[in-house]
Amino acid sequence: MTADSRRPLPSSLFPPSSQYGSLLDALRGVHWPARRAVPHGATGAHHSRTRGSSAEFTEYRNYRQGDDPRRIDWKLLARSDRAYIRLATDRAVLPTALVVDASASMHFPAGDGGKWAQARRLAVGLAAVAHRDGDPVGLTVVAGGGTRRLTARTRRGVVAEVARTLDETTPGGAPALAAAVTAAAHSAARVAVISDFLGDEDALLAAGRQCLAAGGELYAVHVVAREELEPAQLGVLAADPEDAAVRRPLVEGSVAEYRDAFAAWRERLARAWRDAGGVYAMVTDGEPAERAVRRVVAPGAPAAARGAVG
Amino acid sequence: MSFLAPWFLAGAALAAAGVVALHFLAFQRPRPAVLPTARFLPDRPARAASPARRPRDLLLLALRVLLVLLVGAAFARPVPAPRRRPVARVVALDQSRAVADVAAARDSARGLLAEGDVLVAFDSAARVVDGAATDSLRPAAARGSLSAALVAALRTAPALRERADSVELVLVSPLAAEEVDAATASLRALWRGRARLVRVGGVADTAPPARALAVRAPAADPVLAAAALARPLADTARVRVVRGAPVAADSVWARAGGALVHWPAAGERPAWSRARVDTSGAVVTGSGSVVAAFERRWAPPAGRAVAWWADGEPAATETPLGGGCVRHVAVVVPEVGDVALAPSFRRLLDAVAGRCGGERDLRPLADVRWLGGAGPLYAPPAPEVASAGARLARWLFLAALAVALAELALRRGEGRP
Repeated sequence: MTADSRRPLPSSLFPPSSQYGSLLDALRGVHWPARRAVPHGATGAHHSRTRGSSAEFTEYRNYRQGDDPRRIDWKLLARSDRAYIRLATDRAVLPTALVVDASASMHFPAGDGGKWAQARRLAVGLAAVAHRDGDPVGLTVVAGGGTRRLTARTRRGVVAEVARTLDETTPGGAPALAAAVTAAAHSAARVAVISDFLGDEDALLAAGRQCLAAGGELYAVHVVAREELEPAQLGVLAADPEDAAVRRPLVEGSVAEYRDAFAAWRERLARAWRDAGGVYAMVTDGEPAERAVRRVVAPGAPAAARGAVG
Repeated sequence: MSFLAPWFLAGAALAAAGVVALHFLAFQRPRPAVLPTARFLPDRPARAASPARRPRDLLLLALRVLLVLLVGAAFARPVPAPRRRPVARVVALDQSRAVADVAAARDSARGLLAEGDVLVAFDSAARVVDGAATDSLRPAAARGSLSAALVAALRTAPALRERADSVELVLVSPLAAEEVDAATASLRALWRGRARLVRVGGVADTAPPARALAVRAPAADPVLAAAALARPLADTARVRVVRGAPVAADSVWARAGGALVHWPAAGERPAWSRARVDTSGAVVTGSGSVVAAFERRWAPPAGRAVAWWADGEPAATETPLGGGCVRHVAVVVPEVGDVALAPSFRRLLDAVAGRCGGERDLRPLADVRWLGGAGPLYAPPAPEVASAGARLARWLFLAALAVALAELALRRGEGRP
């Protein structure tokens, strides 16, 4: 944690009435460490796979032909008459891409709250945390009306730009996320998918596996509405907003069966993502976003601890 | 309106009641609500039945009930039942020369007629007269024919069978002997029911029938021979047959009331010769026909036909002349052969040598029981209503089809299965 990371965000970046102010304040000081050494890149906050000549000493190694003579520790050579190379751990940035699902199913329950609001808060929170770690942050919002992309950058105001882009998006349609994840994995080593995974679930998992196989990190943030977990409105004909053919009665006798099927599906989904090497976290729309963000970015926590399923 | 298979109508009523009862069962389709995870709900029918206090979908209910009733009514074979009365009448009014006072006969007929009855006026022919035109009936000089009246009545009766159970034939006539011919009895037998006879006053004919003949002809003339065989010959007879050109005295005699028969001899050339001479195989009269190869040289002047050739062309005509008449006979009697001696030729002679206007027998028929008959009135067979019923059933089926389509459209419009 550095002093810079605790510095409050400039008020000019967010309007005074911004809904994200308290969230960003609550996330001050939270880091999103890489889960493993990151590839070589610009100097950042994450341990790099390469070892270089930074001030953070690690060990000595015998000089081998071909090494840069400037890296020889001359004082040690003078003392021991042996040539050693001073090794130090490199730190690099971890470009982070947020892929946010803005399909029709995310607009539930309709209104200010619900899954879409929670997804926006999570995206802004994760963007702020990553940005504060000095990582470039990009955004891909996949909606029925089209996909909007923000290239991963580290400049100031990127979090506000992320927030504005999300606020300007209206969920709708049944777009596919897999292509967006694949594209995001090309430009960022860390991809966080914020979705309800009710769309192209299998294709999305396949794209995630490709991302992980390429050495990237993948976070599956599953946004679930409380009303989906425990339907309160009985005696209605439940209609899938993304599939007009799915219209089934939601009556008292079918709720238990629904609960079991939904829980089993979530269990399967979580297991699939975790088995693939990703991080799965389920977030309900009622959970405070800052707590959810902390849960998602918690370093080294076992996968099960990052979000109970069911 | 009646139904040939009313149990179908009862069945339709039961089915309609069932439809109404079903509409009290509310098959409620819950209102739709968005749930993104709807796919995890068990796939069960979305409709559930529950009793309701009021019938649902009143328009649909009305259409369905109407549909069921229309189909039931169509299968019940409806037949239109016209308004029928027990008895309708066919009144045959005689206006022939046998009637002494046609006005009195007309009044008698008018008293018998009711609305829907048919009036047939007849003399030698018969015609149906509109009730309002009764006053226009005038006495006719023609001989009356009960056969013609019966034929007209038989043709009229079927039109009455849809309006009445029975048809009564009323003959308003003096029932003179001359009005009956050989076909009358057979035609009367075709009217299967009794007839009512209203006898009106007839003309009293005091003139004796013309039996004697005066014939002016050569001695070997075949017509003279036939006349001698058929009738007594006397110069004072009221009928004079002239074989040759008539003279002025003949015309004067005819004007005085005699019947002059101008029958040219074979070699004569009367003014009414035919342009084209041919032959005809027979000469026909009201009482018979003479079959022989007659040379057809002449065409008699226009007048009342007394005899006809086999092809219907007049062979002898009568024209009035003062108080009497002149008959022109265009039949060339072969001078060779015995045609003139045959009985059929004598009947031809009787026909052309009768008194002016034809022989009359205006004596009232003594026995008319056969004409009146006995037993019930003529009950014509029930009108054939099946075709009308089938038409009505077709329309009912068409209406049912239209209602079914409307019901389907309404259901589709409301998004029902």
